[in-house]
Amino acid sequence: MPKLRALLLFVLCALFAATLSAQPKKASKPAPQTVTSKAGGKFVGSKACTSCHQEIADTFFKNPHNKSVVSGKEPPERTGCEGCHGPGENHIETFAEPGTILAFAKIPKQQVLDTCLKCHSQTLSRANIRRSSHTVNDVVCTNCHSVHHAATPQKLLAKTQTALCTGCHLNVKAQFSMPFKHRVNEGFMSCTDCHNPHGTFQPTWANGARPRHVETSKANEEPCMNCHADKRGPFVFEHSPVRVDGCMACHVPHGSANSRMLTRPVVFTLCLECHNGAGNLGRQGNGVKVQSPTPHNMANPAFQGCVNCHVKIHGSNAEQKYFR
Amino acid sequence: MNKHKLAVFLFSYASLILAQPPVAPSPVPAESLDGKNNGNYNVVNNAELGYRFRTVGGSANQYRSSVNYGNGIRLLGGSLLMNSKDGHGGLFDHLSLTTQGLGGDPYQSASLRVERNALYRYELGWRLNEYYNPGLVTNGGNSFHLVDTTYGMQDHNLTLFPQSKFKFFLGYTGSAQTGPAYTTEQGRQGIQLMDVRRRWNEYRVGSEFEIAGIRVNWTRGWEDFKEDNAFTRSPAGVPGFPGTANANLLGLTKADPYHGTNPYWRVALFNNTSKWFSWNGRFTYTAGRRAFVLDETFLTAAGNATTTTRALNFGNAQRPVATGNLNLVFTPVSKLTITNSTAVYNARTQGDTTFAQLSPGAPTRVVTYNYLGVRTISNDTTLNYQWLKAIGLFAGYHYSDRYINSTERSNVLFIPAQQTNILNSTQFGVRLRPVPALTVQLSAEIGRSNRPFTPVAPRDYTAFNGRAQYRRRNFQILATTNTDYNNNSYSVTNSFSSHSRRYAVDGSWTPRPWLSLDAGYSKMHLDTAGGIAYRVAPGTLITGERSLYFSNMHTVYSGIRFQAKDRIEIYAGLTRVQDTGDGRATAAGAGIGSPRAIFQVVQTYPLTFQSPSARVSLKISRQIHWNAGYQYYGYSQEFNLNPNLNYRANTGYTSLSFVY
Repeated sequence: MPKLRALLLFVLCALFAATLSAQPKKASKPAPQTVTSKAGGKFVGSKACTSCHQEIADTFFKNPHNKSVVSGKEPPERTGCEGCHGPGENHIETFAEPGTILAFAKIPKQQVLDTCLKCHSQTLSRANIRRSSHTVNDVVCTNCHSVHHAATPQKLLAKTQTALCTGCHLNVKAQFSMPFKHRVNEGFMSCTDCHNPHGTFQPTWANGARPRHVETSKANEEPCMNCHADKRGPFVFEHSPVRVDGCMACHVPHGSANSRMLTRPVVFTLCLECHNGAGNLGRQGNGVKVQSPTPHNMANPAFQGCVNCHVKIHGSNAEQKYFR
Repeated sequence: MNKHKLAVFLFSYASLILAQPPVAPSPVPAESLDGKNNGNYNVVNNAELGYRFRTVGGSANQYRSSVNYGNGIRLLGGSLLMNSKDGHGGLFDHLSLTTQGLGGDPYQSASLRVERNALYRYELGWRLNEYYNPGLVTNGGNSFHLVDTTYGMQDHNLTLFPQSKFKFFLGYTGSAQTGPAYTTEQGRQGIQLMDVRRRWNEYRVGSEFEIAGIRVNWTRGWEDFKEDNAFTRSPAGVPGFPGTANANLLGLTKADPYHGTNPYWRVALFNNTSKWFSWNGRFTYTAGRRAFVLDETFLTAAGNATTTTRALNFGNAQRPVATGNLNLVFTPVSKLTITNSTAVYNARTQGDTTFAQLSPGAPTRVVTYNYLGVRTISNDTTLNYQWLKAIGLFAGYHYSDRYINSTERSNVLFIPAQQTNILNSTQFGVRLRPVPALTVQLSAEIGRSNRPFTPVAPRDYTAFNGRAQYRRRNFQILATTNTDYNNNSYSVTNSFSSHSRRYAVDGSWTPRPWLSLDAGYSKMHLDTAGGIAYRVAPGTLITGERSLYFSNMHTVYSGIRFQAKDRIEIYAGLTRVQDTGDGRATAAGAGIGSPRAIFQVVQTYPLTFQSPSARVSLKISRQIHWNAGYQYYGYSQEFNLNPNLNYRANTGYTSLSFVY
């Protein structure tokens, strides 16, 4: 533990020192970000843009951003072409000289985020975007969204949602090819049923460390409970790992080679690896309970299917052993 | 369709292939993206009507569990998109409706969104899932049942004044589950299937407004849930019912209803407008409770006499949950972002259940009280620094403190217990962009917990992640690696370790607008070793043995799409999943881990699951396309355990796509 703390302290100090050295001496406030030195001028209105960008203008009525145009209430810096791309006067006067307009493909990722959040920060689902692991890993709005060439009518996604997410999360893509999986490839579910790509509040199960980007259910529970509500309880006799460590203690959420997406091919090894009485673990702190002396007999196949008798394994109202 | 739009569509389509969805429905025809003008609206409309077929050899039940497509006419897919051209439509400015699998597919869904600018937005989601549960078996584990479990879900959300600073929300979510589930006879050995009918209804209302630059979002919701079921086993019994404990059971009547509610409050405050500082907080409170009764009556035989036994369980359970989050984000300079997150979670589950045997003999009564409290406080700090244009760094530290309080109390039992679990973890990483088309990311996380709750929970873990992506306009390749090691050690014989290593590479290439190629490979390795304790005869506890599990999962997927003269489109793809296990030739293995056969044969589970598919689409006219596809599913367990679950399925479809 001392080594861990020392390492952390070193990293923090190094970053802090690097930050100080990078700051200009008079910069008590962050300097306003500019696109390039050539960008700017006055706002000229979207109609001026259509003479060259007719194709975009022709279909812009389908674009959700058109709402700000038709409302007629937004100031020029928050509506139409210049709402995102900045004032167009210099761009027009120089006949589209490079660097005279804000082109999202050519600006830093952080600036993409700042530009979009000028308007899109006012939504609770995006409240955590600046601290999301996507942002930390330089995945910003334009990595997933295509404002002018969207493949989906809603959300302006550059590809279908499944293709977008699995395009980076390759292991998840492989898991959705398993024999037992959530039906995402089948189109029945989507990644955002469980995840919020814009960042989430910190999870509270399993000590809150991982996973990230998982959208919590109503009481900061796992999103599994949104559909599998019969597992939610409250039960008089909770199977305590469900509540304490979460569903992933036994299940692989995306897909598995094992029936019911369990982490093991048979249920009795899954149960016995916890119920071994070891250490100071478990609810009473004296090891997770081992099988009772009677009637268990693992040599008898009838006792190898634990949930055949412990049918209410996620929680029971009537019985401490989850029999009924 | 101009070339640019076509290229975007095709590249998107190429990536869709990679996800390897079922062969049907067909992708939306490219022509439909532009739509037709009708008055003040632009309408994009398409539908695909077709016939699915399948033949299954081997275990039809296993097929139903993992694929489940059947025969019949389906509205395979459909979409309707309407947009007002001037943004001032009558009842709505935007309407989109998409459907999939209507008419009998096991995965049916529909979504509707209707919106009038600045006035309202209504969203509907509907799903129906038919799932076959292979875990429910009868006849001592040798027979399957015949019934699908059906989940139906619907979700309605209405937002008033969506573009205003004052928004109002109304919502309803309903779901229902019907199908088979296990039940037991007063907890005795001997299982039966009963039909469950579960239902949840959630109603919610809320609003969002702004005070002094701070957005406030609140929701008040009520979730009611219930199950009303009854079960009767006739005196004739069920053939093959496990015998020993139930040989004398002549009949059983059982009712197991419960009703409950989870009323909740959620309040969130957030401010994200400043470039250098943003924050948000959320508070939730849920007061869950349920009431239940379990009424069982048995008719048993003892010699020539019969006895009626009636027992009741009844009681209440409550679980109030209070949670809080506070997140702070500082951006003192554009290159540096510092975030701090605090989360508090407090759940207290408590309840009592009374067991009362009413007859025969003198009534007995046992009251059990149970309490499980979990309180977690965690804090997380992350620094993200863009050192140079090509180099970024990030580091973070996480601390959490979890207190668990447990009490079990009954006529003969009193077990109080408290414990505290503390987790410290740190993560750090680097982002590199040596050239614009290439990005490289490396990160690592180390965590230490002083006392995990279960033997398999993270205690001493190390994770490493790496990814490199090269991307050009029509070509991209991505390689990733993830390593996750968890070592828990309590004693020499009862330690648990888990080693997971995953590697993947994925590429897609669209050399021409009429040709795209995709391929990918993934390997997931997992080996675990956990101490076990079990009984082999009443009273005999075996300890000091280890349960081992080895999995080496190889996944290959590929696809090629070819388009000829804007009239014929052909797609062929393959997905193959193979778990090679640990390479052993027989299930029995090499005598490692527990010496007992029941543990040896489940140490690894080699199998193959493959699904080649092909599709052809012929453009008959601008409005009509004819499609046909074939997909094979093959599932094979190498060691062919009992019952034999291997299957082969030939599935396919033919359809007409209408664009109008």
